[in-house]
Amino acid sequence: MPKVKINDVEIEVPAGTNMIEAAKLAGFDIPHYCYHPHLSIAGNCRMCMCEAETPRGPVLDIACNMQAREGLAIRTESDKVKAVRKSVMEFLLVNHPLDCPICDQSGECRLQDYYMDHGQYDSRGIEAKVGKHKRQDIGDLIVLDAERCVQCSRCVRFGDEVTGTGDLRLMNRGDHTEIGMFPGTRLEHDYQGNLADICPVGALTNKDFRFERRVWYLRETDSVCTGCSTSCNTKVCHQEGEVFRTLPRRNDDVNRSWMCDPGRQCNSGVGSLDRILRPTVDGVAVPDAFETLAARIKAAGAGRTGFVMGSGASLEANWALLQVVKANCPGAKVFSVAGNNAGAIAKSDGLLMDADKNPNSAGVALLAAWFGGIGGAEDLRAADLSLLVVLEDDIITRLGGNPAEAIAYFGTHNNPTAELASIVIPVAHVVEMDATYVNRQERVQRVRRATNPQGEAVPAYQALEKLGAALGRAPGTSMPTATFSAMARAVPRMNGLDYKALGASGRLLAPTVQPVAPAAPVAEAK
Amino acid sequence: MALPKPQKVLTLSESSYLVEVLKGMVLTMGHLIKNIFDQDRFRTIEYPDVRKPMTARYRGAHRLLLRPDGGLKCVACMCCPTVCPAKCINIVAGEAENDPAEKFPITFDIDMLRCIYCGFCVEACPKDAIRMDTKIYEINAYTRSDMVHSKAYMVNLMDGLKPEAGAAYRAEQGLAPDGYTNADSAPEGSPR
Repeated sequence: MPKVKINDVEIEVPAGTNMIEAAKLAGFDIPHYCYHPHLSIAGNCRMCMCEAETPRGPVLDIACNMQAREGLAIRTESDKVKAVRKSVMEFLLVNHPLDCPICDQSGECRLQDYYMDHGQYDSRGIEAKVGKHKRQDIGDLIVLDAERCVQCSRCVRFGDEVTGTGDLRLMNRGDHTEIGMFPGTRLEHDYQGNLADICPVGALTNKDFRFERRVWYLRETDSVCTGCSTSCNTKVCHQEGEVFRTLPRRNDDVNRSWMCDPGRQCNSGVGSLDRILRPTVDGVAVPDAFETLAARIKAAGAGRTGFVMGSGASLEANWALLQVVKANCPGAKVFSVAGNNAGAIAKSDGLLMDADKNPNSAGVALLAAWFGGIGGAEDLRAADLSLLVVLEDDIITRLGGNPAEAIAYFGTHNNPTAELASIVIPVAHVVEMDATYVNRQERVQRVRRATNPQGEAVPAYQALEKLGAALGRAPGTSMPTATFSAMARAVPRMNGLDYKALGASGRLLAPTVQPVAPAAPVAEAK
Repeated sequence: MALPKPQKVLTLSESSYLVEVLKGMVLTMGHLIKNIFDQDRFRTIEYPDVRKPMTARYRGAHRLLLRPDGGLKCVACMCCPTVCPAKCINIVAGEAENDPAEKFPITFDIDMLRCIYCGFCVEACPKDAIRMDTKIYEINAYTRSDMVHSKAYMVNLMDGLKPEAGAAYRAEQGLAPDGYTNADSAPEGSPR
C-alpha cells in the first residue's frame, strides 16, 4: 500500500485511492461538488483543487483525479489553494439565482456551506445573470431548477452508470450550459429520489419533501428500509414525532449510496389513518387485550392453537413469539407463510429492489431452522385450528383465505388480516423501536427508535412479553439488547454477534455449513 | 447557592413612613404646579385621547409587507421562526402555482402572548417581508386565540393603523380593498 503525505500527515492508503478519500482518512476535508464515491470521476467542478508537490515545484491539480502512489504529497490548506477555491466559488456562483429562501436544499447546500468556508468574497458581478428554466416537472418525484445547477454532472453520470437510463444531459455551451431532459421525456426509473440526494445544490429537489420542512429542523436517526428484503440502510428524518423523509445511508455492502423510490415511502405510513392504535377484542376497543387473548389460547388448547411468525416483524419479535410458544404452549404449531402483503408491488430488478417485500424473511428462516418443525403455507391450510396468533404478516392475502376459526393479529396497519381478526393488538412501526432485521444477504442490521409509538402501540417483542406474562411464563423480551443477547447465545449461526457491535453497517450471519476442518494428517505407520 | 440578601435596615425617617409619604406628595404637587405655570411643556398625557409619539425604532406589532404587484413579500423561508427565541411564529409553507416566487405562507401566525418584541424576525428576513414599525403597542384581546395575529390581520396593519382604519386608508389612497395597488395587476392565484 503506497504511503502518501497530506498536509505533512503521512498515511498509508490502498493503491488507486483518490486523494479526496485519502484526505478523509487523514482527517482533512477537501471540498468537492462533482466527485461522488459511487460515480465515475468527472473532474469538472474544480473545487477539490490541491497543491501537489512535484520535482517542478508545487502544481495545482484536482484531488478527485489524483490517485495515491508512493511518495505523493499534497497540500489542501495552502494560501494558493485557498485563493483557487475562492475563485472557483466565484465562478460557480456567477449565475446562481440565490433562491435560498425558497430552495429546499438550503441548510444542506454545498454552495452555502462552501461559500461560508471558502468563498466570502464581495460580488463583482455587473452583468445580468443568465436565466434558465425554473421549476420543471421532470419526473414523478423530481423538480428541476436549471438556474441553481453548478453543472457538476453527478445526475448525468447517475443516469448513465447506475440506472442506465441516460435521461439527464448537459446542453448548450459556456455559461448557457443547462441541465435538462430530452424534449418530451420524463424520468421513468425507480431511483429518481437519489438524484435529489446526490445533487450538491438545489437544482434537483424531491417533490415529496417540497416545502414540507426546513432541513435544519430535522433530526436524523439511522434505520433500515423495510420495503423489501434488500433492507437498504436509511436515515429517518423526523421532527417532533413526525417522519418527513427517508434518505439512503451509505453502506457499500448493501445499497452503496442508493435507495429505490418505493423504499422512500416505507415510513410514510407511520402516522397514517390506517394505523392500528388501540387493542380491540371482537371489534371493541379495550384497555388490555392480553388477558383475553391468553384466556382464548388456553380455551383453544395447545393442540388447536397456531402461531405465525412474521417476516415483516423484527428478529426480536419472532424470537419472542417462539419463546412464548416454547414456554407456554409447547404443543402448539408454528407456521411461517411466504408471500407479500396486500398492496405490495412485487417488483424486482438487478439493482436494489427485491420481489420479496418482507424485510426479515432471512431472519424468520434463521429462527425457523433453529426452532425446527415450522410449517409452511400448505401445512397451515391443512391444519385444523380454532385460534391463530399472527405476528404482523397479512396471512389472509398470502393464503387467499382464512385458515382458522379465529385470528389474533399483532400488527401496525389495518389490512385484510386485521379486519378478519377477533383480537387486534397494536405494535410499533419500525421507526418507533430498537430492533434488528436480517436482509437477503443474511446481514443482521439494527433499526433505531426515532419517534414514540403511535397510540397504545408497543414494540412487538414487548407485546409478546405481556402475552407471555398473561399466559403464565414471560419470555423475558422486554428489552431489545437482552433479547438479542439471548438469541445470540442460543442460535448457533448468531453466536458471537453483539447488539452494540452490529454498528452502522450490520454484521453477516455465520455461514450455514461450517467449513470442515482439514483432516488431521494420519501418522504414517512405521 | 445564592444566599438571601440581608434585608435593608430602614432609617428612622423611613420607618416612620410620614416623611416618605410627604416626599411623594411633594413630587406630585411639583408636577401639578409645573403643569399649571408651564403649559407648553405639559408633563402628563391624556391617554387614550392623546398618545405619546413613539420613536422611529420602536418595535410594535408586526406587519407583513406586500410586493408592488400586490402579492405577499413573504416566501416562507422559515428564517424568522428559526431565529425567534420565543418560538412564537408558526408558518406553514405551500407552493404558489402561478407565482414566480414558488413558495408562500399558507398560514403565518404570530402568538403575541409569547412574542418578546426582540425584533430578530425583522432582522432575519431576507425579503423585507415583516416589520415591527407599526408603533402599535396596545396588543390586547379577550381570548388567547385572538392574541394570535394571522397573516390577514398583519397584512392589514398598514402604516400603524388598525384593520378598520387600514381599510379607510386604502380607500383614501385609491388602493384596492384587499391591499393590491391595482386589482388587475394581481396575478391569478397570487398568494395572499
